[in-house]
Amino acid sequence: MGSRTSKRLITALAMLVASLALAACSDLGAGGLDGPVQTAQANGKATGDITISNWPAYIDKNTVPEFEEESGLSVEYIEDVNDNNEIFSKLQPTLANGDPAGRSMVVVTDWMAKKMYDLGYLQNFDKNAIPEVNKNMLPSLQHPSFDPERQFSAPWQSGMTGLVVNTAEAPDVKSINDLFDPQYHGRVTVLSEMRDTVPLVMKASGIEDPSKAPAEDWLAAIDKLSGAIESGQIVGVVGNSYINDMARGDVVAAIGWSGDAVQLQADNPDIQFVMPEQGCIIWSDNMVIPVGAPNPEAAYAFMNYVYTPQNQAQIAIYNNYTTPVTGVKPILEKTDPELAKSQLIFPSEKYQENCSPQPDPPKLQTAEIERAFEALQTGG
Amino acid sequence: MQWLRRNGVMIFGALVIAYMLIPIAVIALFSFNDPEGKFNFTWNGFTLDHWGSAFSIPDLNDALLTSIELAALTTIIATILGTMIAMALVRHQFHGRKAANLLIVIPMTSPEVVIGAALLSMFVYAQVTTGFVTLLIAHVMFCISFVVVVVRSRLIGFDRRLEEAARDLGADGWTTLRTVTLPLLAPGLVAAGMLAFALSLDDFVISNFNSGTTVTFPLYIFGAAQRGIPVEVNVLATMIFGLTVLAMIATLVQQTRAEKLASVRPDDDADAGFGGVPASRTAAGTT
Amino acid sequence: MKAWAQKRGIPYFLLLPGLAWLTIFFVLPMIFMFTVSLYEGSLDTTYEFTWHWANYSDALSQFDTQFVRSFLYAGIATMLCLLIAYPLSYAIAFKAGRWQSVLLLAVIAPFFTTYLIRTYAWQTILSNDGVVVDFFQSIGILNSDQYLLKTPAAVIAGLTYNFLPFMILPIYASLEQMDQRLIEAARDLYSSSRTAFLKVTLPISAPGVFAGVLLTFIPAVGDYVNASFLGSSQQAMIGNVIQGAFLRTKDYQIASALSFILMAMIVVAVFVYIRFAGSESLMGDEEATT
Repeated sequence: MGSRTSKRLITALAMLVASLALAACSDLGAGGLDGPVQTAQANGKATGDITISNWPAYIDKNTVPEFEEESGLSVEYIEDVNDNNEIFSKLQPTLANGDPAGRSMVVVTDWMAKKMYDLGYLQNFDKNAIPEVNKNMLPSLQHPSFDPERQFSAPWQSGMTGLVVNTAEAPDVKSINDLFDPQYHGRVTVLSEMRDTVPLVMKASGIEDPSKAPAEDWLAAIDKLSGAIESGQIVGVVGNSYINDMARGDVVAAIGWSGDAVQLQADNPDIQFVMPEQGCIIWSDNMVIPVGAPNPEAAYAFMNYVYTPQNQAQIAIYNNYTTPVTGVKPILEKTDPELAKSQLIFPSEKYQENCSPQPDPPKLQTAEIERAFEALQTGG
Repeated sequence: MQWLRRNGVMIFGALVIAYMLIPIAVIALFSFNDPEGKFNFTWNGFTLDHWGSAFSIPDLNDALLTSIELAALTTIIATILGTMIAMALVRHQFHGRKAANLLIVIPMTSPEVVIGAALLSMFVYAQVTTGFVTLLIAHVMFCISFVVVVVRSRLIGFDRRLEEAARDLGADGWTTLRTVTLPLLAPGLVAAGMLAFALSLDDFVISNFNSGTTVTFPLYIFGAAQRGIPVEVNVLATMIFGLTVLAMIATLVQQTRAEKLASVRPDDDADAGFGGVPASRTAAGTT
Repeated sequence: MKAWAQKRGIPYFLLLPGLAWLTIFFVLPMIFMFTVSLYEGSLDTTYEFTWHWANYSDALSQFDTQFVRSFLYAGIATMLCLLIAYPLSYAIAFKAGRWQSVLLLAVIAPFFTTYLIRTYAWQTILSNDGVVVDFFQSIGILNSDQYLLKTPAAVIAGLTYNFLPFMILPIYASLEQMDQRLIEAARDLYSSSRTAFLKVTLPISAPGVFAGVLLTFIPAVGDYVNASFLGSSQQAMIGNVIQGAFLRTKDYQIASALSFILMAMIVVAVFVYIRFAGSESLMGDEEATT
């Protein structure tokens, strides 16, 4: 090794040490935002444009254009929320600087709304600006444990996680435990949403209230799933893409979301949502206003619009999830009587008697549980 | 048997090419499908409807436009930067040649996931919002190396005496560059540019990490793949494929014609040289 | 004097913008990722830079299966690519005659449809109800309850398909440059066509093969698209792990450590190659002709 090479090596090393020293002096980007939570004050009538991030296939194609016409606003409606963790990862670096990357409204599931709120990434609503929401929200949704006064979240849609089954290929699937039945080997998937999949497995093992379960129960359920994945029984821990696999016929039974089953029926009428014997998991996806939102007035206008029963009816017909708005059932009874009876859109208490709201894992062991669950997705 | 031995390689080659074209055929085929619901997996009936409504999905159009914009900018910047490097490498002597070579080779041989992830960690650290600009930065970065390789190979075969001749005739450095060097280099530049454009348009992994909330065409497809890719995507993909094939055929035809024209020159005895000039002309030799 | 300085300065002026871009946006990020890999903590508990080398051992021990799997899949795919590409490149270089350009076009053109759509198309082609599976089941390679999707075979097939041109083009390039008269000379010296191939053609194409192998293997090792579309979580490769860690669980430290370990393994391979053949020949560099 000549002196030239060793000189080069030393220069390289010096550069490395210098940059490491620099790195040691600063932190890896801010974590949460400090300071009191702002309220997004509405200043007069909404004008201009608004960017909204929502889950895919959650709105019919007429609502946004009709809203634009009525309000005079211009809406950029982006369907980029495929997974709560993914959208959080995408937005977190800029939210930490108080910048929501152009969005004035994002739709995330309950637990993610809480997480973002705790980190200071959300604003409180100006309740005076959303009269329709205040008036028409379903009573059962008005005081959830994570946001008792609905200060920062308003449900977009509610839904149930249970079994989505191809009843022609897998007629006997009635319980989560049936997913472990060897006759369906290689044709079963579960959701990558940990707070849906693991509690369902826990309920199927006899744990009635997952929200009170200790960490050991969560980890035991994850272990059971791990065994099934390793043996090839379960072939995927996936997000939205399970409906692709079901449409293709590669998957015949899956843990999935209620509205999806109906949307799949257009391609394959045998696919149905099946309420598991031990009950389902109930959740809501919520509209939230991020910190630094460019146009909160427009967000409020949109919220008022979709909480008006006629407009909500249109959305409900399309996506078949549980509507959070009162006054929709009478409308559907006149226009779509079949749908007015749908247990998916208007679930009765009896239908949901065994269901549990979507739980959070015990706070102290959350990281450990999330890591164990993530390992399922990478076959580790 | 003899026939098989002689033509075995050709047959094998034909089979491989068929294999390579199978997915393309499937994509094109399904662009004419008329699916019942949202999913385009089983053949349901022939229709031209989706070809008619190819541009009817606003998000898809936006994504495609974004990708094209990004690719165009990337091509311009990367081609300029890469050509400059190539010229320095081939025509000049300087210290640090080995280091420069290394710096150019290593990005080409790094896995995209590592490049994308590293860029993201730097952007997160520097608290830079990821978006179109960070995408552009990333795309130019991984295209430079490829441009260098393509242009360099063109430069090596370049006949310098043409430039000398121009200078002998009184042209200064800049004029020589403009009227002799660059036009002769043009095919190489075009090839490098096309390569950069294709790489940028098709990039998924690095974009996935660094796009923030910008949506490029591949990113749109990845998102759509979760819930059923609309038929219009097949249509657009087939269109892109068709257009590039046509473009390449056009280049080929033009090249063949240029060669034919060059070979019609009276004092030609060898095939056209690299710059499209008959060898005999340069063999006449100046000093 | 000024003219001399100008002339000496030109190469540096030419090199500066491009190399600066590469340095700032490639080298620097690598360094940052290295520093990130030594952090400790999380989003909830704030990060601390503590030379936490444990991240590396944690990463290796947690994901050794995926590392091995990635190298295995990429290795097999590369071998398959080589076996498929060599005869094709040979055919195009020597037997195609005036069809050469057309064939090259046919090789490159499929890659003008997006990578994702091509892989997605394989999902349809290899689907449980599709013709391929039906065919294999009918001739007995697969049992009636065995499928192609979500198996290692599907992922490797996807990798092979997607990286084929990277193997074809370098081999073609090195074969095309070969002077045919060498073969004639070998024949004149009474060698059979087989020996001529083994002793003349094959060695001359070695640089092309080497380049092709590197250009195929390296991206394949880090790929995650094929595993994501065509495999189950049991086929997850190290790329999937890194992507998940960066974009889902935000486990930046482990993700960075993994990336660096992967990168290090590959840099070692590249250095070995450069040692062997010289960086000049990888670039095909020639001395400046001025």
